Parts: sequence; structure tokens; C-alpha cells
Amino acid sequence: MKKTFLAKRNALLSSASVSWGAAALTFSVLALLLRLLAPNLFLHTFAPAFSVADAIAAQSHRFFSSFSGAAALAAQNERLVSENAALIAENAALEQKAASVGALADSQRSSGILAGVISRPPESPYDTLVLAAGERAGVMLGQEAFGEGGVPLGVVSSVTADFSRVTLFSAPNVVTHGWVGNAHIPLSLFGAGAGAMSASLARAAGVAVGDTVFAPGPGMLPVGRVVRIDSDPSTTTVTLRIMPALNPFSLSWVQLRDVGAALRGSFTIATSTL
Amino acid sequence: MIRNGILTVSTMVSVVLFPWPLSALLALAAAFLEPFVPLAAGLFADTLYYVPGSGTWPLFTLYGLVCSSIAVLVRSQLRTGTIR
Repeated sequence: MKKTFLAKRNALLSSASVSWGAAALTFSVLALLLRLLAPNLFLHTFAPAFSVADAIAAQSHRFFSSFSGAAALAAQNERLVSENAALIAENAALEQKAASVGALADSQRSSGILAGVISRPPESPYDTLVLAAGERAGVMLGQEAFGEGGVPLGVVSSVTADFSRVTLFSAPNVVTHGWVGNAHIPLSLFGAGAGAMSASLARAAGVAVGDTVFAPGPGMLPVGRVVRIDSDPSTTTVTLRIMPALNPFSLSWVQLRDVGAALRGSFTIATSTL
Repeated sequence: MIRNGILTVSTMVSVVLFPWPLSALLALAAAFLEPFVPLAAGLFADTLYYVPGSGTWPLFTLYGLVCSSIAVLVRSQLRTGTIR
């Protein structure tokens, strides 16, 4: 007769004395405790790793570009596209500022804090930026982050002594009140992740692909461009798909500015990040 | 055992160094060998990048928890079976 062998086993732990998964979980819990108890020390600990990630991203980009056989041309093209986007955004911003003298005066009052970006999407999955500037550099909750060309990017949502986090306008569930087109039609921008945003608007508004989308800053500042309009004939509204004016995946610095108590108040209403 | 270790460490390092889709892929692969790795990687990712009050749940921890739960369930069913 065959003898049945019923070994007592634990479904959670392997037969080995140490489980790698349990060790990884312990490490994660310790990291979480460190972040909760000493957030500044936590970011100091991981900042070098973020720098390594940056270097790896740059190296891999260079590596893959080399396969095209025209790496220099590709780099130059990328730089020119980036500069062009920044110039377009800057031009639109200047037009708006020229039309709003009061807003221009506000913008001249504030100088801003230049902060390096140490972690950005896609490593950061929530459309957040980790900046190497914190309370000691004068960063405060609610300050607005601007990129090249004065493009508004998001709002400071967390600050430690030496670091801060910015939640981008494109982060999921973030709602920002803005305007679209030359007619400055007001609309609510919904973050869709990966730098993209969307908005719903009445079909009769007459918004077209290519229209510039603005967000509040000192005045109206361009945050993106309508790249697609989804329309359902059975409804009276259309959904605008908006791409950002600046690619958040390649940000290396931002400028943080206090946009004033009145405007900060409107952000509190407009976004859920504060 | 060494293979489990390499996969686990790679997943955790990937959370910091590489784009999150790659980390998610590694965590899923590691779940076959170490069921706790998806939860650990998700918790670690949220520890690094999640901002409380940003209007979203810590999704990576939740996804990791679901993935780890499924992995544990499947492993427990396989281990208590008579056929291996």
C-alpha cells in the first residue's frame, strides 16, 4: 500500500529559513517608517540613487540613439524641438502678459527659486517631481512650479528641510481651472497621467486642434495644446485631449514662485494638491 | 535561491532606477518565485514617490497587495496538492 506523506507546509514562507520576498517587504516597511519619521533624512538617503537613475537614463538614451547612425543629428533635432516648444510657450506667455498689465506687475515682483529635479516621471509613477530644494531654500507649500519659457507645471505639495515634491497639473485626479483658445473660454483641466490632461467643453465653444490651453499663474500662462478632440454625436460636449507644453519626462530644473495669496486661494479650490 | 535573490533585488533596485513599467514587469515575474515581492515593490514605490493628499490612493501598494495575494493563494493551492 502506498504511504501518504503529508508534509506540513507554510504557504507564506518557503522551506528555506529566509525568504527574499519577506526581506524585501521588511526593507520596504523600514523605508516607509524612515520616510514617516524623518522625511528629510529619507530623501537624503535616496537622492544619490535618484542621481544614478538620471545618469542611467541619459546613458541609455545615448546608447539607443547611437543605433540610428546619426546620434548627433538626433540630439540636435531633439534640442531644437525642445527649444521651439519653449519659445512657442514663451511667446504665448508674453502675449498674455502684454494683454494683462496687472499680471505683468505681479510677475516682476517675484524672483523665484531655482530648483533641480532629482526624480521625475516615468520613474515617479504619480506625475510628481522630487526637487533638491526645501524649506532651507525658501520653498513653501502651495508655490507654483514653472519650467522653461515660464510654463506652469504644478504645485508644491510636500516640503522637507532640503527637498520638496511638486504634483504636476497632469497628475491623476488633479483638477485645475484654466482657459482655452484665443477667446479664453474657461474650462476645468483634469490630470490624465504621463503629462497629459483632458477637459470637457460644449461643442458650440468651437475649440480646434492646436488651440493653446492656459492655466493661472501671474496672468494666463500656456500649459499645453489641444492635440485631439473626441466627439460623440449623441452628446452636446466634446472631450479635449491636451498635451503639455513641456515634456515632464525631461525636466531638469524648475522655478518655484509664490503666486500670491489670492491666486493660491484659487488653486486651493482648483486643485486637490494642497 | 540565488535566482530568487537576484530577481528580488533587481525588482527593488528597478523601482529607483528604471521607469515604473519595467519595475512592474519584474515584480510580476518575481511573484512566481517570491510572492511578497510585488507588495514590497509597490510599497517601496509609494514610499519614494507617493504624495499624501494628492487625491489618489497609493495605487502601487494596492496593486502589489492584490498581486501578492493572488500569488500566495496560487502557491498555497499548488503546494497542498498531491500532484507537483
